[in-house]
Amino acid sequence: MAAKTGSSRVAIPSFGGKGKLWIGLLVALMIAGLAAWGYQLTTGLIATGMRNVFSWGLYIMMFVLFVGLSAGGLIISSAPKFFHSHRYEGFARLGVLVSLACIIVAGLLILPDIGRPGRLYQFFTSPDFRSPMVWDFGIVLLYGLLNLWYLWLLTRRDLAARGSSLALGFKNTEAGRDRDRTLMFWTAAVALPTAVALHSVTGWIFATQVGRGDWFSPLVAPVFIAKALVSGLGLLLIVSVLADRYTNFEVDREELTSLGKILGIFLAFHVVYLLAAERLPHAWADHFEFWAIMSNFLIGDSVYFWLWTVVGGAVPLAMLALPPLRKRVSVIFTASVLAVVGTMFEGIRLVFTGYEVANIDSAPGISLGGEYTGITTDIWATAGAYTPTLVEIAVTLGIIAFGALIVTLGLKYVPIQRVDAEPSYATDGGKQDQ
Amino acid sequence: MTNYGLVIDQERCIGCQACAVSCKQENNVPMGQFWNRVLTEGGEKMDTPSGGYPEDGGSGSLDMQYQPTACQHCENAPCVKVCPVNATYTRDDGIVEIDYDKCIGCRYCMAACPYNARVFNWDEPEHMPEEGTGDVEARPQGVVEKCTFCSHRVEDGLDPACVVNCPADARIFGDLDDETSTVSKYINEYETDQLLEDRGTKPKTHYISGEMSPGRPQTSDKMESELDDVSPWSDGDDDVPSKEADSVGSESSSSSHSVEGGEIPYATPAKSGGDD
Ligand code: SF4
Ligand code: SF4
Repeated sequence: MAAKTGSSRVAIPSFGGKGKLWIGLLVALMIAGLAAWGYQLTTGLIATGMRNVFSWGLYIMMFVLFVGLSAGGLIISSAPKFFHSHRYEGFARLGVLVSLACIIVAGLLILPDIGRPGRLYQFFTSPDFRSPMVWDFGIVLLYGLLNLWYLWLLTRRDLAARGSSLALGFKNTEAGRDRDRTLMFWTAAVALPTAVALHSVTGWIFATQVGRGDWFSPLVAPVFIAKALVSGLGLLLIVSVLADRYTNFEVDREELTSLGKILGIFLAFHVVYLLAAERLPHAWADHFEFWAIMSNFLIGDSVYFWLWTVVGGAVPLAMLALPPLRKRVSVIFTASVLAVVGTMFEGIRLVFTGYEVANIDSAPGISLGGEYTGITTDIWATAGAYTPTLVEIAVTLGIIAFGALIVTLGLKYVPIQRVDAEPSYATDGGKQDQ
Repeated sequence: MTNYGLVIDQERCIGCQACAVSCKQENNVPMGQFWNRVLTEGGEKMDTPSGGYPEDGGSGSLDMQYQPTACQHCENAPCVKVCPVNATYTRDDGIVEIDYDKCIGCRYCMAACPYNARVFNWDEPEHMPEEGTGDVEARPQGVVEKCTFCSHRVEDGLDPACVVNCPADARIFGDLDDETSTVSKYINEYETDQLLEDRGTKPKTHYISGEMSPGRPQTSDKMESELDDVSPWSDGDDDVPSKEADSVGSESSSSSHSVEGGEIPYATPAKSGGDD
């Protein structure tokens, strides 16, 4: 056996009282979610707040969010590897673990949205390759498998060194580590375009639709990429600060601050630049006076817009930009939380802009197929309205809890960091550039 | 090739809802759902006009029109293109239909349809009477459904139920690829619109407004192409039908609307370009 193994660290050697409580909470949420889904399966989607005009709701909004969240980790760990750098090495494995959990959550969120989940096999027996949903199905699957493979590749020699059966028989040898380095380079090379494809295709689910207001915009795909960078990196920072606090995972302060700065840049690009690029042409074309153009450009209409741009954009951006603040862990943490919450509201807003207004809204309108809970008493509506029901919230929380459980168990069973920060454990796909 | 389409003459439509009701009955459409709706273009509420009364000081601009709306059977149908499992598809005769066995209930097609023509069975469909009406395939909870141009009738050579039951002869069904069909002629002769034309979906439902057409009076349940004498009243220089519906029609099961021998179907012949 090779001598130079270095050593690796598992974040949670064993679960203490608090850890068990945490797992108990997650399991309870999952059980509640399963029960709610069971209820929804028997009564039908009538148990949700969705109806004929507003026919996608919380599940799809959260699907969009979690697809985006799955970006950060993989990019932060694969981009440096691709450029043969050791930058952010300490975040690499945690990042991929978080990405994996998020893409699993995203995939699972589709299940309760499907009217007849039992027919899902039709995706394999009768796919229509014109459908962006088929593309997305493929890319989500591919992305999930890629994350799983990458996480295992990053850790399998350390798993072997620890004698874990998760190494699946691989040995911890120097030659093996060399080979893995090359594999890592190539995986990183595949991971980056796959991530770009994932977010673009998810954007195109919406951007191809001529019937749903603002959805039909070529900007949607680039915005989804920006959104993924912001929320994904935000989530990685949140999880690493929490893991640093509650487990043996250790955050390198200098790298954390540096990632915080990058988050600020992503935020500026997304919320300031892309939003402006999206709004200005409309504001300009629709208005005549200079101030009318300006105010229409700067002032949004819905509360989701404000929650997104101010709470999720301007505030965290300011926090990450001000020199006296931006080095504090608490500031980076709060800014990250706000960025993720803001992105969530952006997704909610996107779905609302599609369904709120009906293209043809003459009276009596569109039959709803059931009452809007508590909103109308007849079956007709000329506009879309939506409030999620408790059932939808319970199912969603249950699935998110499952994602949190994956991360928690990952922290327990996967060696999440190298202790010696062995420098040679970077990729070696060609010439080492240092 | 056959390419079925529908012409709706909004000038003839009297807003009686007969098409909406007969659709619901013919297709056993569940409670709380409509495949075919008669919308009021005008005021805020159904059957109310927009504008002001023609009284002293009023604008006298009262205006109202009915727009019967169902699936437009688009040629470039976004609902067909988005359906991940080929459950929604375009038939060879141009009808956009759903295979309820395949539908997984993802509702992507509802997001895709700009006309809100599709409805989803959010729970176990209820019918009145309980055993249902019509002679069509049952649709379970969890699938999307919509107007089929009554494909089950069309296959038997019959016009869609809404067309047969329109008392104002405002609905005309036929083959858009056949230049001699009434639908093709009217699309040529009258000013017709398609709904949300700018979306590029190329709907096969065309709306006449402005100048009233003679419609196509129903002489039987049969489709125009099944009749021997093809709607001569649509032709400017041959206003009166020369021959009544063929007597073979009496052998078909549905003859409630067929014309008795020698009787001329009720129609107000209008010369194209005439102003009435
Ligand atoms: S009207 Fe809607 S449901 Fe009908 S074909 Fe067009 S897009 Fe599809
Ligand atoms: S709901 Fe059914 S018909 Fe509509 S896109 Fe999904 S599978 Fe196709």
